[in-house]
Amino acid sequence: MSIRFENVRKAFGSKVVLEDVGFEVGSGECFFIIGASGVGKSVLIKHLIGLLRPDGGSIYLDGEEVSRLTEKEFFSVRKKCAMVFQNSTLFDSMTCAENVALPLRKHKRLGAKAALKEALERLDTVHMREFANAYPPELGDGMQKRVAIARALTLDPRYVLFDEPTTSLDPVSARRVDQMIRELCDEVGVTSIVVSHDLRSIFGIADRICMLYKGHVRMLGTPEDFQTTDDPVVQQFINGRAEGPMEV
Amino acid sequence: MSAATDPWPLRAPRLLGATALSIGSQVGGLVVLLARIVARLFPPRLDRAELLRNLHKMGVRSLPIVSVTALFVGAIMVIQAAPLVTRFNAREIVGWGAGFATLREVGPLLIALMFSGRVGANNTAELGTMVVTSQIDALRALAIDPIGYLVLPRVLSMVVMLFFLTIIGDVVAIGGAMVAGKVLLDVDPRSFLNSLFLLLDQWDLMTGLIKSVIFGAMIALTSCHFGLSVTGGAPGVGRAVNASVVAAASGIFILDYFSSFLLG
Amino acid sequence: MNVVSATGLAVIDVTRDIRDILRMGARTLRFVVRGRKDRRMIVEQMHQIGNKSVFFITVTMGFIGMILVFQSALQALRIVPDLSLLGATYGEILIRDLGASIGAMMLATRVGAGIAAEIGSMVVTEQVDALRMCSADPVEYLVVPRFLASMVMTFCLLVWACVVAYLSGMVTAYVVFDVNFLTFANFMLVDAGDVIVGLTKCLAYGAAIPIVSAQRGLATFGGSEGVGWATTSAVVSSSLAVIVLQFFISAVGYLVFPG
Repeated sequence: MSIRFENVRKAFGSKVVLEDVGFEVGSGECFFIIGASGVGKSVLIKHLIGLLRPDGGSIYLDGEEVSRLTEKEFFSVRKKCAMVFQNSTLFDSMTCAENVALPLRKHKRLGAKAALKEALERLDTVHMREFANAYPPELGDGMQKRVAIARALTLDPRYVLFDEPTTSLDPVSARRVDQMIRELCDEVGVTSIVVSHDLRSIFGIADRICMLYKGHVRMLGTPEDFQTTDDPVVQQFINGRAEGPMEV
Repeated sequence: MSAATDPWPLRAPRLLGATALSIGSQVGGLVVLLARIVARLFPPRLDRAELLRNLHKMGVRSLPIVSVTALFVGAIMVIQAAPLVTRFNAREIVGWGAGFATLREVGPLLIALMFSGRVGANNTAELGTMVVTSQIDALRALAIDPIGYLVLPRVLSMVVMLFFLTIIGDVVAIGGAMVAGKVLLDVDPRSFLNSLFLLLDQWDLMTGLIKSVIFGAMIALTSCHFGLSVTGGAPGVGRAVNASVVAAASGIFILDYFSSFLLG
Repeated sequence: MNVVSATGLAVIDVTRDIRDILRMGARTLRFVVRGRKDRRMIVEQMHQIGNKSVFFITVTMGFIGMILVFQSALQALRIVPDLSLLGATYGEILIRDLGASIGAMMLATRVGAGIAAEIGSMVVTEQVDALRMCSADPVEYLVVPRFLASMVMTFCLLVWACVVAYLSGMVTAYVVFDVNFLTFANFMLVDAGDVIVGLTKCLAYGAAIPIVSAQRGLATFGGSEGVGWATTSAVVSSSLAVIVLQFFISAVGYLVFPG
């Protein structure tokens, strides 16, 4: 029961983003993918649920090769592997409750009323119940993120992908989101893959970390490994220094 | 070698070829979208809430503009006919003359153009914004098919609503023509209606309504296609809206031509 | 109550829009008479508005010509079995009204959307505010060149539109109804009144489209989504303006030149 990337390669036109990436994520793990902006972190995780297709290599989810599936076959993958987008990406023509109710209506065959009722309970778990009838653009970034997480969790997925969940949030909201991700791993047993370059989240909640650099995995290990490494590139990144060997 | 540095005799065929290719790829995209929509119809799995929302929005929002357009169109058709009518002293067939042109041709055509400008453009903008803010990807990530959930209800609503708006528009246009006939040519409304009902057969009315369905499908397809294929962020949405309105207008004229011939 | 207040609000909205558009027209005319005219800008806009619409207008008007002749021949055949006057009446209606009006509806979608999108994105990126900060009037710098360019180019394009529609109509009449080219090319019914009414329409549409669209563009608010709205609304408003002008000019034209 795991996720495995093998020799994944992806280029956009002549720009090679991922050259040869491979790693494995264990069950119930809180796995972080870090790296500088534009290094292809989000691109990588979008491959897992078929939003992008690799040019080469393979991706296994629960032992099943998913990178060659058709769009239709991917639907079953996406039901067990949810994603929280970077900008929350709530549907702005619907209220928060309707946003959460949509997947319930579509996949659990619930009626409109039952779906809304369950959506309210889901919103309660992220402490957003009082904003159930608000439209997403009226809310702050942190609140939108919490609704987005509630929406991603409606189908009780075993895997959740977070694309930069704390970027553009204020420090307090960011730590709350961190806490939610950690609780998901510890209490529900969900496997989380988090794309981030927020150092406090990385060293706050990660079980293992994978650093991407120039289309390859630069380093894979626990937070402790990262803090004690003498790789100058990794050192520069986790200390947030402007000067160093890292190329943009 | 870039196009700008070519001597001019080489530039013209290159430009023509590029235009032909881009039109070809858009038409191809439309056909693919149409095939995907038709595939979703069997078995029909429609999102009822989304369908109702779109029906309401598209119908109600364009009712005022369609009525105003139709009112003027009816009046204009009478003014058009006025010099001929006075010349041949044919007051008793003004109703038929205006009604024939309005119901068969001008009414459906202009109402469709207005509908495209209002509803079609708005639809492209809405879908385009969803694409650039990755809300379409969010749907896919929730294992919801964007064609079935977003596109199918929109296409159906546009076809249905344009059909009904054309019926309403026809009635309003006849009203406008009646008023113009009374004011300009002193034609009694009763004799106006008499000539209309006497000389017009159902087929004339049907022709216009069949056309409105064809136009509705055309507007729906182009506006969804251009909306879904937006690239390049927010400015891309603006470009797509523009391209979609122009493409829908050209498509409407071309289809009108063929349907006029086929429906005789 | 709800319906009443909604209708009332709509009426207020429409009146305000009409007032704003008329005001914009008055200011534009004042600057046209008095203001500084940037010749390079005008030429550039003429290229944007004129040359880039020729292909579009040629294709659509070609189809329109075929449709119009086909329909009017069908209509005529129901009362008289003789199509010898088809070309004459078609020529009169085309010159007096349909050529200019349908052509202008098409230009409204293309030219109007272009103007509103361009000015609208300048508004949301605060370039218009920057113009104001340099104490330059946006109407003088943005609207006047487009207005003058559109007056000239729309006029030419609409005359061209009439020619295309006439020729394609002539071919249709020959191919489908077997009407000889010489019989068709009959300008017996066209008199000075028809030409004057037709040309007045060309001028009026050429003036209305840029003013309406520029007003919509300058009224843009709310980021890039607002530009989309402004563009849509420019297309709808300028098409409506064309229809309303068509109605009034036709009515006045009929009263002045009844023949």
